[in-house]
Amino acid sequence: MIVAENVEKRFGDALVLKRVNLRVEPGEVVTILGASGSGKSTLIRCINGLEALSGGKITVDGHDVSTKAGLVAARRASATVFQLFNLYPHMTALGNITLAPIEVLKLPKAEAEARARALLDKVGLGAHAGAYPQQLSGGQRQRVGICRALAMQPRYLLLDEVTSALDPEMTGDVLRILAELADDGTTMVFVTHEIEFARHISSRIVFLEQGELIVDLPTAQFFAEDGGLAVPRIRQFLSKMKKD
Amino acid sequence: MRYADFTPYDIVLLLQGLGVTLALFVGTTLIGLAIGLALAVAHHYRVPGCRPVIVLVTEALKNSPVLVQLFLVFFGIPAFLHIRMSPVEAATLTISLNTAAFAFVVFRSGIESIDRDQIEAAQVFGLSRSQILRLIIAPQAAAFSVGPLVGILVNQLQVTSLISVIGVFDLTKIGNILNLRTLQPFIVWAVIGLIYYLAAKTLAHAGGRIEAALRKSVKWGGI
Ligand SMILES: Nc1ncnc2c1ncn2[C@@H]1O[C@H](COP(=O)(O)OP(=O)(O)OP(=O)(O)O)[C@@H](O)[C@H]1O
Ligand SMILES: [Mg+2]
Repeated sequence: MIVAENVEKRFGDALVLKRVNLRVEPGEVVTILGASGSGKSTLIRCINGLEALSGGKITVDGHDVSTKAGLVAARRASATVFQLFNLYPHMTALGNITLAPIEVLKLPKAEAEARARALLDKVGLGAHAGAYPQQLSGGQRQRVGICRALAMQPRYLLLDEVTSALDPEMTGDVLRILAELADDGTTMVFVTHEIEFARHISSRIVFLEQGELIVDLPTAQFFAEDGGLAVPRIRQFLSKMKKD
Repeated sequence: MRYADFTPYDIVLLLQGLGVTLALFVGTTLIGLAIGLALAVAHHYRVPGCRPVIVLVTEALKNSPVLVQLFLVFFGIPAFLHIRMSPVEAATLTISLNTAAFAFVVFRSGIESIDRDQIEAAQVFGLSRSQILRLIIAPQAAAFSVGPLVGILVNQLQVTSLISVIGVFDLTKIGNILNLRTLQPFIVWAVIGLIYYLAAKTLAHAGGRIEAALRKSVKWGGI
């Protein structure tokens, strides 16, 4: 379980996360919605330890990310897929995927590569194991990014706008893969602007407004007239998203 | 045979001089690259108090004449600290530090050229600092650095000729000796120049091959 309690994050004078509380149980898909600048990425970066908390506490399966040992354990339990892929440009697709399994999980190389090839096959990139990131399209790179995360066999997947750098066709490819993962019961924390997709795969939706988590509802209720839509800010956000 | 004539033995003298030049060059290059790399890594990890000192010293080394540095080390430091220093020691120390200063700049920009994004990815996947340095930063920084480093080293090879001034029997010093004996400056300095030229070309060629090997994936446009 991922638990965020009264999480605060400051950049200089700006309070970017304000006493945020969030709980993600195994098997859930939780989508974080919110306007640009509302703190979605910052929250993800606090969970994976890329930002230090200014206040509050985050635990992943009980491991406190603000302690050194806790962060190591928390990072073993979760894996992140990035908006801009963040692949290692000097390594092939296979190298990108096997690096952490070999170096961190200490898997034998052959086993790590077999696992990586199986994942690449699954996302339709079986023929591209030897390709460098520069040789792949955006959609293909993001699929490698997803394989890299899955190769760690994480209990939680953190995804921050993983399709927003992709054109619609490639977005479809990536979303299909994520939907399959959700069906398989993969636990995900998902930041996206793809509202319809979020509605389709999420078990819960939370809404961030200027660093405050103002709504946390099961998906059906979030989109119900007497639920999320009753909150003027959310209604406004959703109608603006529909127009875009 | 007149006293001033060239003799076959002069070839041996030239080879000895070349040997001294190359040995000094290789030695100072290895020391200089190691120090430059260590400085760049210390700079990258913001070792406390390191940055201003590193920048000050390397700037001083890059922006003053090597001959002046050599005099300071050979004459100045022994006088100041009341120690003895041989010409070879002074030459080794001076050129090593000088190479280190230039290498530091190249390694630093090599490290800085690497996207933060990838390093963050490696961090969240649990790689340790030293694993990130070894597996993510070093290979890319190396491929980025080889080209500029080869240029610097070709220049440092020429710079070694300055050490003849404090009495090291390098190639240039041998040239001096032959010139005084034969009074044939045109031939002597043309030959010495040609030898330096050939050494520099060989070095540049070897550097080019190393660079090509490091960038062996032509398609890897990530640097
Ligand atoms: N490293 C940083 N230094 C200073 N301010 C930052 C930093 N990172 C984020 N911020 C600020 O924190 C706020 C929240 O940023 P964040 O990236 O979390 O928003 P977001 O909800 O992910 O937005 P978007 O939808 O545009 O990705 C913004 O005002 C941003 O300017
Ligand atoms: Mg964001």
